[in-house]
Amino acid sequence: MTTTALDLGAQSAGVPLQRSDLPVLAVDLISDPSVLERIGQLAQDLERSGVGALTLSDGGLHPIHVASYLAPLTRTIALLPRTDAVYVEPFHLATQLMSLDHLSHGRAGWLLTAETDPAVPASVGRAALGPEDTAREAADVLEAARLIWDSWAQDAVVRDAARGVYVDAARLQYADFEGETFSVRGPAITPRSPQGLLPVLVTDVDRAAVGERVATELADGRVLDLDVSTGARPGAVADTVRQALTETTGPVVCLVRLVGLDLDADPLGTVAELTATLREQGLIAAAPSAEQSLRDQLSLPTAARTADPARRSDRGRLTSEDHA
Amino acid sequence: MSTTAPHRPFERTELSAEAAALVTGPAEHPLHPDHTPTGQLSFGAFFQGVNSSTIWRLPESGDQVAWESFEALVATAERGKFAAFFLGEGLRLREHRGVPFELDVAGRPDAQTLLAALAAVTEHIGLVATQNTTYNDPVDLARRLQTLDLLSGGRAGWNVVTTDNAWTGENFRRGGYLDHEDRYVHAEAFVQIAEQFWRGEQIEHEGAHYSVRAQGDLPRSAQGRPVLFQAGASPTGQDFAARTADVIFSPHGALAAAVDFRRSIVERTVAAGRDPGSVKILPGAEVVLAATEQEADEKVRWVRDLQIGPEQAIALLEQYWGRDLSSFDPEGPLPDVEPEVAESGVTRGAGFQFAKAQELTRAWREEAAEKGQSILEFARVQAGSRRGTFTGSYDAVAERLAEFARLGAIDGLNITPWLIPSGLDDIVDHLIPRLQERGVYPTEYAGSTLRENLGLPAL
Ligand SMILES: Cc1cc2nc3c(=O)[nH]c(=O)nc-3n(C[C@H](O)[C@H](O)[C@H](O)COP(=O)(O)O)c2cc1C
Repeated sequence: MTTTALDLGAQSAGVPLQRSDLPVLAVDLISDPSVLERIGQLAQDLERSGVGALTLSDGGLHPIHVASYLAPLTRTIALLPRTDAVYVEPFHLATQLMSLDHLSHGRAGWLLTAETDPAVPASVGRAALGPEDTAREAADVLEAARLIWDSWAQDAVVRDAARGVYVDAARLQYADFEGETFSVRGPAITPRSPQGLLPVLVTDVDRAAVGERVATELADGRVLDLDVSTGARPGAVADTVRQALTETTGPVVCLVRLVGLDLDADPLGTVAELTATLREQGLIAAAPSAEQSLRDQLSLPTAARTADPARRSDRGRLTSEDHA
Repeated sequence: MSTTAPHRPFERTELSAEAAALVTGPAEHPLHPDHTPTGQLSFGAFFQGVNSSTIWRLPESGDQVAWESFEALVATAERGKFAAFFLGEGLRLREHRGVPFELDVAGRPDAQTLLAALAAVTEHIGLVATQNTTYNDPVDLARRLQTLDLLSGGRAGWNVVTTDNAWTGENFRRGGYLDHEDRYVHAEAFVQIAEQFWRGEQIEHEGAHYSVRAQGDLPRSAQGRPVLFQAGASPTGQDFAARTADVIFSPHGALAAAVDFRRSIVERTVAAGRDPGSVKILPGAEVVLAATEQEADEKVRWVRDLQIGPEQAIALLEQYWGRDLSSFDPEGPLPDVEPEVAESGVTRGAGFQFAKAQELTRAWREEAAEKGQSILEFARVQAGSRRGTFTGSYDAVAERLAEFARLGAIDGLNITPWLIPSGLDDIVDHLIPRLQERGVYPTEYAGSTLRENLGLPAL
């Protein structure tokens, strides 16, 4: 954040914003097979125009894999698939997301949604859950995912040639998650990812479905959605963002997300214009640099691992030695 | 296809004595009247990620999870016109005596998430994910695989595996719900649902293990659907492969075993009403090469010493003895104590069954005593410290492989590099040019899809 931008923001609207952790500007892309041909180029162009994050919404292709496809094609932009936390295998989902974090060198996040389309449970042979059960399930899956992400210490791979030890079991822990409808043992089959815990965010449109507990207690923050499908008036957009940033209750706005961008009507021009206005008015964070993780961009603290003695993966050995 | 002529018919006099003894027909059908060799080999690079064969102790041993390792490995494979880059999968971290196994490389990224990223930086190579049928949902997995197939322009493959143990199931919603006997019944229904999804059909499946309703809603990929690999060697597994698979990832690399396996698969494929040329066989292989036979022998010993240290040797025996053997000297004789379980499991998660522990450990003790082997020497021999089928001088291995190709014993190899990421370098630099000179390996990619590059008939 530069002083100039803040001053400009103050001049144009008279409301000086004091936040040091301004939200990151994101653009939503739909994982529609018809955009496959140009999605790589589009991601690169959006990165070049200073957009901080891409969110990938489900349009048929799996958003996690589309996000990972974009990872090696980009360098700074964060990648957040918007994907269900309810009718999924928590272990697979957690593994996929942490793998995206590895591939993208710490640029991954999760826009957590709770599926309400009954076609989805039918496709995995499950009964559709009511709103309360849906919210509870989403919370359980998120908690389980975090335990899995946290199951390897950063330094678990020791490569100690003298002792012949590659990975130190004392630096691994089980997830040992017991939810209402499932349990997960762990540990992860993937070493700790660069960010450790991926930022988990909830968009305004998903807030009702995921429930208040996930949206306000468990998630790292809120995503403010700006529908630009019918074009965007930069002044009005800036006002909406300023309004949201000055709210003192509810989860903090981490992403400002442009949704419904018309890819056939100069999408880059639209984004450039909005980016310029929002930056001038000091309403969004600066474009990310190459070394920044998504946590860095969002000013989230480094995710230190929670070591839990009861979950230690070498407890089997400790017990057998104690008995011996 | 089985009707095409072999690339280069051979004269009987050209064959090694071992090969000549196995041949039962003319050059067009040397192994089985219903099978015609293509005379061509395709290579896959198999990144297992969790195993005892990857050497992690050397300074040049790269990171097992870093993107840069995969990018480098795949670039080498593509330079060598490999048909496929292949990832293994294990859905629970291996354990040894109730604790995550510490001595081998462990921890790998999710296969399809990684392959989708590799699709962006490669042009020709196939991208094959090992994915389990027991602990996935068919429509979800089919969508992921189709996503990979579309992202890569028709280069996706799926190695269908059926690991079903309840211990792995502890990581999943359904737990250990499936009887071992049912693994392929279940897998077959699973693959059928996936195929319906890929064809864009309406799915209404009511079965013993699932009820699934869905609509295939993605466009067809450039190769029609992901290529189906199968890796399971039991008779039931072979029949499943004969009915459904395009490629079999087989454990049989030695010539006589490979020939037997080919005959078995040809019989089963014909019985299933399919053209035997439409099922390819790629055995898993460890390749150790050097300029001369003598250097190759020394290199094999060096590789084995690095793969199996004293700690691994003790751990190997503990898997069969089922008890703590840490008080035994790795340089001393095999333990003179009885195993603690009648039926042992290997280090959990390896997924293979072994003979009764008591019989086996007794036989091993006798064998090692007879040969005067220590625990360490014995463990290294168990892992194959003598020269294997695909170890030797560049010329000798090329010649041997050319013979495999002319006989049609195999359609290629799925090679596990023992060093990441440089483990394919000498194969690409020294072996492949010799195979190309012998006309048994492609000098260019045949096409843009994995199907084309494996020589599979179009769908
Ligand atoms: C060469 C080979 C490689 C295999 N790789 C894997 C793997 O990476 N992950 C896995 O879960 N199972 C793997 N398997 C296990 C098989 O898929 C199968 O589940 C197991 O062999 C049991 O089937 P079967 O009784 O027909 O042999 C592999 C098997 C073979 C023969």
